Amino acid sequence: MEKTTAEASSDQNVSVPVSIWEAFRLHLICGLGLAVAFWVAHNIYSIDLISNPDQTLFLIWVIETPIIIGVYSISRWNPKQCSFLKAVGHGLLGIPAGAFLNAFGAIVLGAPIGFLYIKRTISWSLLMSLFTFAPAASVFGSSWNNWQRLFVYAKPAGIVDYMICLPAHGTVIGAWLGAWPMPLDWERPWQEWPISVSYGAIAGYIIGMVASLGFIFMFDRRRPHVKGD
Amino acid sequence: MSYLTCTRLTTWTLAAVLLQIFGLSFFLYGFFPVKPALSGVSGPESYRSPMCEPVKDLEEKILPPDRLRSLYKEMSGIPLSFDRLILMVVDGLPAEFVLGKGDQPPTKVMLEAMPYTQSLLSSGMAVGYHAKAAPPTVTMPRLKAIVSGAIGGFLDVAFNFNTQALLDDNIVGQFYNISWKMVMHGDETWLKLFPGFFTRHDGVSSFYVKDTIEVDHNVSRHLKTELIADDWNLLILHYLGLDHVGHIGGRNSILMSPKLKEMDEVVKMIHMNKILPQDDPHGQTLLVLVSDHGMTGNGNHGGSSYDETDSLAVFIGLRSKVPDYASATNNAAFQVDIAPTLALLFGVPIPKNNIGVLIEGTFASLTDDQWLRALELNSWQLLRLLQAQLPHLSQGLPCKDPTVEQYSQISKCSGSAELKFRCLISNAAALHDAWRLNGARGFRNNSRDDFRGTVAAYYEFLRTASEWLSRRATDKPLDLLAFGVITMFVSCLILFWLCKEVYNKQKQCFPNLYRSNYTMHSDESFVSIAILIYIFSMGSSSIVEEEQYIWHFMTSTLYLIFFRRSIQSLPAGQTPNLLNVSNGQKCSNYSHTCSIIFVLICGRVLRGWHQGGVNWTHLPDISKWLEQAGLHSIIYIQIASVVLVISLGSWALYLLRPKSAFVPVVHISFVISGILVLLHNIEHQEHTLITSNYSTTSIAQIIYATISMSVITIVIASPWLMPISLYKTRSTSRFHLMSSHSIDIHKRTPELGLRGAAYLIGWTYIVFWCLIQLLLQKPINAVPIILVLLQILASMYYFSMPELHHKQWVEVAAFYFLGMAGHFGLGNSNTLATIDVAGAFISLYITCRYHNVCYYLCITTVDFS
Repeated sequence: MEKTTAEASSDQNVSVPVSIWEAFRLHLICGLGLAVAFWVAHNIYSIDLISNPDQTLFLIWVIETPIIIGVYSISRWNPKQCSFLKAVGHGLLGIPAGAFLNAFGAIVLGAPIGFLYIKRTISWSLLMSLFTFAPAASVFGSSWNNWQRLFVYAKPAGIVDYMICLPAHGTVIGAWLGAWPMPLDWERPWQEWPISVSYGAIAGYIIGMVASLGFIFMFDRRRPHVKGD
Repeated sequence: MSYLTCTRLTTWTLAAVLLQIFGLSFFLYGFFPVKPALSGVSGPESYRSPMCEPVKDLEEKILPPDRLRSLYKEMSGIPLSFDRLILMVVDGLPAEFVLGKGDQPPTKVMLEAMPYTQSLLSSGMAVGYHAKAAPPTVTMPRLKAIVSGAIGGFLDVAFNFNTQALLDDNIVGQFYNISWKMVMHGDETWLKLFPGFFTRHDGVSSFYVKDTIEVDHNVSRHLKTELIADDWNLLILHYLGLDHVGHIGGRNSILMSPKLKEMDEVVKMIHMNKILPQDDPHGQTLLVLVSDHGMTGNGNHGGSSYDETDSLAVFIGLRSKVPDYASATNNAAFQVDIAPTLALLFGVPIPKNNIGVLIEGTFASLTDDQWLRALELNSWQLLRLLQAQLPHLSQGLPCKDPTVEQYSQISKCSGSAELKFRCLISNAAALHDAWRLNGARGFRNNSRDDFRGTVAAYYEFLRTASEWLSRRATDKPLDLLAFGVITMFVSCLILFWLCKEVYNKQKQCFPNLYRSNYTMHSDESFVSIAILIYIFSMGSSSIVEEEQYIWHFMTSTLYLIFFRRSIQSLPAGQTPNLLNVSNGQKCSNYSHTCSIIFVLICGRVLRGWHQGGVNWTHLPDISKWLEQAGLHSIIYIQIASVVLVISLGSWALYLLRPKSAFVPVVHISFVISGILVLLHNIEHQEHTLITSNYSTTSIAQIIYATISMSVITIVIASPWLMPISLYKTRSTSRFHLMSSHSIDIHKRTPELGLRGAAYLIGWTYIVFWCLIQLLLQKPINAVPIILVLLQILASMYYFSMPELHHKQWVEVAAFYFLGMAGHFGLGNSNTLATIDVAGAFISLYITCRYHNVCYYLCITTVDFS
């Protein structure tokens, strides 16, 4: 059964024409959005992740949300049945759901609970959700098969799949690795929750974008060859 | 491939496990060598020679302090040079700052930072020593070394559970015995080491490292009044600021020279007020400025590098003048030498386990006779310590009356340790006797040479003995360690070979399970990575300190991965259900997935229950909050947990759907012991103030008896009494059957019977273990025990999910991870010092988990034999 669903969805997916250049442009826009968000935080509001983690994370989220949702809604899965606005709506709905899951994961892994940390946890999980859930929600809506293929089996089959799957996994793994220095006795201000985790997540996201471009390039080179056969 | 029968497999496994145990015991025996340290406190007997057979006399009774003081004075034959001692400890001050390194004087900055101390050194009023400290260079063991002259082994932490008071013989205790009045201002470690010894004290905590001003101000503000007051004999000042400066900014911090100036001011104030006035009516005062350890370039300490072990000892106020600056500063000694020196200067016996040697130059005001006597006392004390370690040493020692004229031959000393020590001490004693006799006869022609020869002979013995003893304290028998490690390694090899054989066998029997293109699942790779991470984390002390977070993080991550895998087996929601997969199946899949979430939440609560580790223990946690809320809530929670354990136990028991009468019997034993534990807890709460009373201990004994009887009965009886035929209808109760490989098993009913029995035994074991823990643990730990039990149950439920094919070693690893996380969740830690005696059995808790796991292994073994 697994195989049939995967094949079915990949068939549907290949029909969406997204070229490698479009993918590159899309990632570039998202990456630039991130840079702009940091620039605004640093130069206009003069806050940074270490001194005001919750405000900074929230600011990044506010700036990055329209960019990511807009960009991924354009390359939605089935443009004929689903209008652009509907895809945006899916993306916006996906964010709180993903934020809830991310916050659950973080708390279960040991994130502190308490009034002090609620704001930080919320802004962090919103940003995590934006990196992991929102693109998939915009592109696929609520199609469970696609979600399962991307996030449970991690078997991307197509350019859009790579564009969603790799940055999302990169974000989660980066955040996981970012949590390691937290309990140590280095007495650095960035060891507070969720600063190092956010740094890890953002770094993982960027690495995931770059890696996805690499995979798309390989995928793209193989595809015409298959077609030729 | 050799043919592997069931019996051979069992024998090999047993042999490997036994080898492992042997290897571990050898290793532990080598790693923690139990050294014969002398217990008790030195008394008047230390002024008698240990070379002769001990003469038992009746005056060894406890004397009043002033009688003891005069007795010591009379027996030692050394006049008291001082009446009062000021011990000024500057935490972390490297000797290099004051005395320079080697022949070089200290740097200009340092010279300018401590002008008064330097002037004292150059005018010969003070004499300084590089007092080499032994690792670990941290405050508490160093203070112990300064006062007791002994280097602690690893085990002395284990021997005094949880109490930090210094139980060994030491000079502070000796001073206390002769009723000295003692005052301490500074690091509260002193108060922990000597509770109740000080008449006045102001302890400052070393907790807040950023503070370099207040910690020292809190000490110095008392100084003026203490210097005017004359009711004390010993004043201890322990300044922490310099260590804090080092921790913040390193050895060359800009805060360093102001701090040194401050210390210099203190030295100046004490010297002006107490030592300079020669006609002080309260007697002479000696100021000893010591540091407990040095620091590295970036201000850390703990290791054994030169920078860290280079600590300071400066004696200010000795009667004799030191000729020049070089001889006042360029001296080497050991930190342990401070204890015997101070002991003899102040007329108390040298502590029993001291391995230090009297510092040359501190007794220069004594006559030759008294100086030799001091050396003799030090030698006798070391000889006693040697006798404890080398039982044959006392044979053949010269036991003679010094008044009888008798010349022994002075000989070159070599050979085994015993021969050498015997020879060295005989030489020194013979020379001393000769010198004494010459003195008595009145002719002292070449007495200076004789005197020097005797001192040299004594020092040769003392240095050799001290060196040998300190090496013994830190040496480990390498051959024993190597043997242990090799044995354990061989055992591992055998076990690996067995695993391979079993694996091959499995492959033959179930070829469909092992397809050729086998890829590692995410959970398997994660478990392997986690084990590697754990091994590498042992290399970093700051990770080892916070080991509990690692275990919780790994366990949670593993279960999140399980969660992901369990979603894989969830049916895709939108595909049309042509085959009409039964709703019950789907529902059970969801409930299996939910069980993982349950494990995760339990794990998080468990982690929040106690803040363990080193750095974050002060943060709030659930147990602190409950303890604040009051005792009653804890009692109710404890009672509720006992009830919950019993009901859970019964519920899991009836999942077996038993038709035999044996299961209700087991159930009754659960209930009875549960009620007994409940009774005991309630009884115990009523008598919280009384530490032990008769009725509670008798209930505890009854509980032990009931539990051990039930366990033995169930273990022996269940394989015979669990009827095999029952397990044909097992579709509804498959949960307990742990079948990772439930294919082909339908036809094998005898094995299923055994599985049922194994399940029963394992479950009994777990339930009784929880009950015993509820009995022994602190009431606050009742909920963590329940949580661990729930985690085990939920994981067992999850692993019984039919679509999952977790490898058995992954299941074992998951239980092991849960066990480790639970160990720390119960508030335990990985340091010996924090072992709570009530919870000392907790490590067995993990063994319980192991047994649980062993049942799984047994089941598989049965499967494939």
